[in-house]
Amino acid sequence: MKHFTKLAAAAVLGATLGTAAVAQELYAPNLAYRTGPFAATGIPLMNGQADYFAMLNARDGGVGGIKVNAEECETGYSTEKGVECYEKTKGRSIVTQPWSTGITLQVLPKTNVDEIPILAPGYGFSPMADGKVFQWAFNTPSGYWDAASMILQYLQDENGSLDGKKIAFLHLDHPYGKEPLPLLEKKAGELNFELLPIPVGLKEMQNQSAQWLQIRRERPDYVVMWGWGAMNAGAITEAVKTKYPMENFIGVWWAGHDADLKIVGADGAGYKSISWSFPNPEAPVMADIQKYVVDAGLSQSNPEEMAGVFYGRGVVISAILAEGIAAAQNEFGVAEIDASQLRWGLENINMTEERIEELGLTGMVPPFATSCANHTGHSGGWMLEWDGEQFVKVSDHMLPDTSDYQQLIADKAAEYAEANAPWPTNEDCNVGG
Amino acid sequence: MLYRTAGQFKTSYKADQALFPVRQDAVLLIAILIVAYVIFPLIASEFAYQTLLIPVMIYALAAMGLNILTGYAGQLSLGTGAFMGVGAYACYKLITIFPWMNPIVAILFSGVFSAGIGVAFGIPSLRIKGFYLAIATLAAQFFLVWLFEKWAWLYNYNASGAIQVPNTEMFGIYLTGPLASSVTQYYLVLVIVSFMTMLCINLTRGNLGRTWKATRDMDIAAELIGINLMRSKLIAFAISSYIVGVAGALYVFMWKGAAEPNLFDIPLSFQVLFIAIIGGLGSILGNYLGAILIVGLPVVLNLLPAALGLTISSALVEHLNIMIVGSLIIFFLIVEPHGLAQLWRLIREKLIIWPFPH
Repeated sequence: MKHFTKLAAAAVLGATLGTAAVAQELYAPNLAYRTGPFAATGIPLMNGQADYFAMLNARDGGVGGIKVNAEECETGYSTEKGVECYEKTKGRSIVTQPWSTGITLQVLPKTNVDEIPILAPGYGFSPMADGKVFQWAFNTPSGYWDAASMILQYLQDENGSLDGKKIAFLHLDHPYGKEPLPLLEKKAGELNFELLPIPVGLKEMQNQSAQWLQIRRERPDYVVMWGWGAMNAGAITEAVKTKYPMENFIGVWWAGHDADLKIVGADGAGYKSISWSFPNPEAPVMADIQKYVVDAGLSQSNPEEMAGVFYGRGVVISAILAEGIAAAQNEFGVAEIDASQLRWGLENINMTEERIEELGLTGMVPPFATSCANHTGHSGGWMLEWDGEQFVKVSDHMLPDTSDYQQLIADKAAEYAEANAPWPTNEDCNVGG
Repeated sequence: MLYRTAGQFKTSYKADQALFPVRQDAVLLIAILIVAYVIFPLIASEFAYQTLLIPVMIYALAAMGLNILTGYAGQLSLGTGAFMGVGAYACYKLITIFPWMNPIVAILFSGVFSAGIGVAFGIPSLRIKGFYLAIATLAAQFFLVWLFEKWAWLYNYNASGAIQVPNTEMFGIYLTGPLASSVTQYYLVLVIVSFMTMLCINLTRGNLGRTWKATRDMDIAAELIGINLMRSKLIAFAISSYIVGVAGALYVFMWKGAAEPNLFDIPLSFQVLFIAIIGGLGSILGNYLGAILIVGLPVVLNLLPAALGLTISSALVEHLNIMIVGSLIIFFLIVEPHGLAQLWRLIREKLIIWPFPH
């Protein structure tokens, strides 16, 4: 017992001393998951994120002349570890990257108290787009409702009309998977298609024979998938096994992982995934990463992984964060910005075509801009298709029809604010949105 | 030496049956309570509250509830996580339906719901035992988590299917929700856990505790000496589930702040069961020792490399952590199969007779 109390006391001491250490750097920790059941998808993303900042630190000496410490804190995708990491890093961090819907849900209510921006690129709670209510949360450059809107648009363009079509919505039975349902239900009424939600329990991720039996019986025209981790590989192999036409199978951006499709190889050709990022090995930024990070032996990645969608997405995520930091540095005239200054920066990102070229991210991310009212940016994206060996773009830059769910965002955000009252909103923000 | 009992005479039956017949035990407990009530709040950081102090106490309480059922009454249960979930969802519904309700009352009252559910799933224990009962409680585990997912009324029809703890206050101080300070929540958990511990110690050494132990050790013999097995088992289920339910409500309202159904899935049940087994079945102290080992130690180990100035990647630290904690569990179970509490009991015995062992 005494032994343990000593250890606990040491921990308490360590934690208090740890926050006292001051260094000339920007501390932007990442709540990574390189272990646990989702590690296979986490590792390429984390490598991409880490490599981009390592490259900036080596090439430019960081952002605005100050090094960025993109330290990782391992969560293994568990909410308990996530909270541990959040508490450990929040003392001096300028941003939180929670990386799981569960951790986001726990951290989100605390943001108004702790005043640290949450950067959840392409995941988290869709109403976070409402920057007036969610002052501290950012799901740039696109949210799940953007994804659902673009997928429906793509299908509409392909068919002319979705009237009378049947769309199965295969999703993880989890807050993440249920996220697009309100919008899909609304659109089903408007466009007159039949929506067939098929939930996949967390325990059934790897064995979806029941769900695919249902799909075979119902014969939907399309299957739209909101899957994550082992569920994607499970669904794709099951689709190949039941001979479901792959070209009618579309996933969200988290269901477009190269490794999941390499399992089926050419049989998976035609499978599509909507995405706001694209891996472009020809982009100048990739050459710089090769030169400053990989050749210097600082990367944990490998050439095959670096050509994949998820590594490229990791690079884009770090680039968005770096843009936010740079915007804040310009506005406030200091290199060592704090959390609330970064919040301003993330609200004022302007990723124009020229800026994307300048950063060397050619073709890797669509242009977008954020504002205090619009924390998402609604960048739109591309439809990617698996050609049997890799993902290729099969559409031009698509834009979501945000007018469809602007009201939904406002309603859900207001609902959240009410449930968590007292919840201060940003009254100074006068931009329409 | 430290534990010399020479000179401590008992002159009445009352003194002989006191909670702490050995004076040093009482002194040690008072010291621990002073540390918990005074010293920790003075020195603890936000991090220490959120990752060490509050979770260790809540897990210890959950394990204590399980220990009543498994350690004292001998009924193996694998449904602890789900019963914690019942407490958490009941508390959430109470607070959202009756916003005027005092959150402490809601937390204590939510245990009543899980006690009811616990008794319902405890009925099979009248006919089946051991591993078969474990399977019956496993059914409760699966059924309840499924219910948390499917019954939208439970989470107030939220689109995300998760529950969020609202801000509630008492006398102008926030007790739950993101606005509540860690110190407040720490004290609240501490008071509830201390109270429950006292209750459990007294229950288990009284008439009821003896009835449970008799049921555990040999149910036929217990029945022959006039113990009503049905009553004994169902009361064990009720009290155990009540404590587990309160622990579940604390788990979400005082610590996590938000919960999704799969949080209460089987890994949570196993974690609580491991705490109870490694701490020591049939012991109250063991729950705390087990919780410190399983919940607290990994957090401390995670901090060590940074505190020592080593730069190891955090994924590697996590891997090392799993290996170290895993081997410690095996080590402790080999050294003392009856758990950490028994280890402490032996140390204490040795100290009492030191320096003249038999």
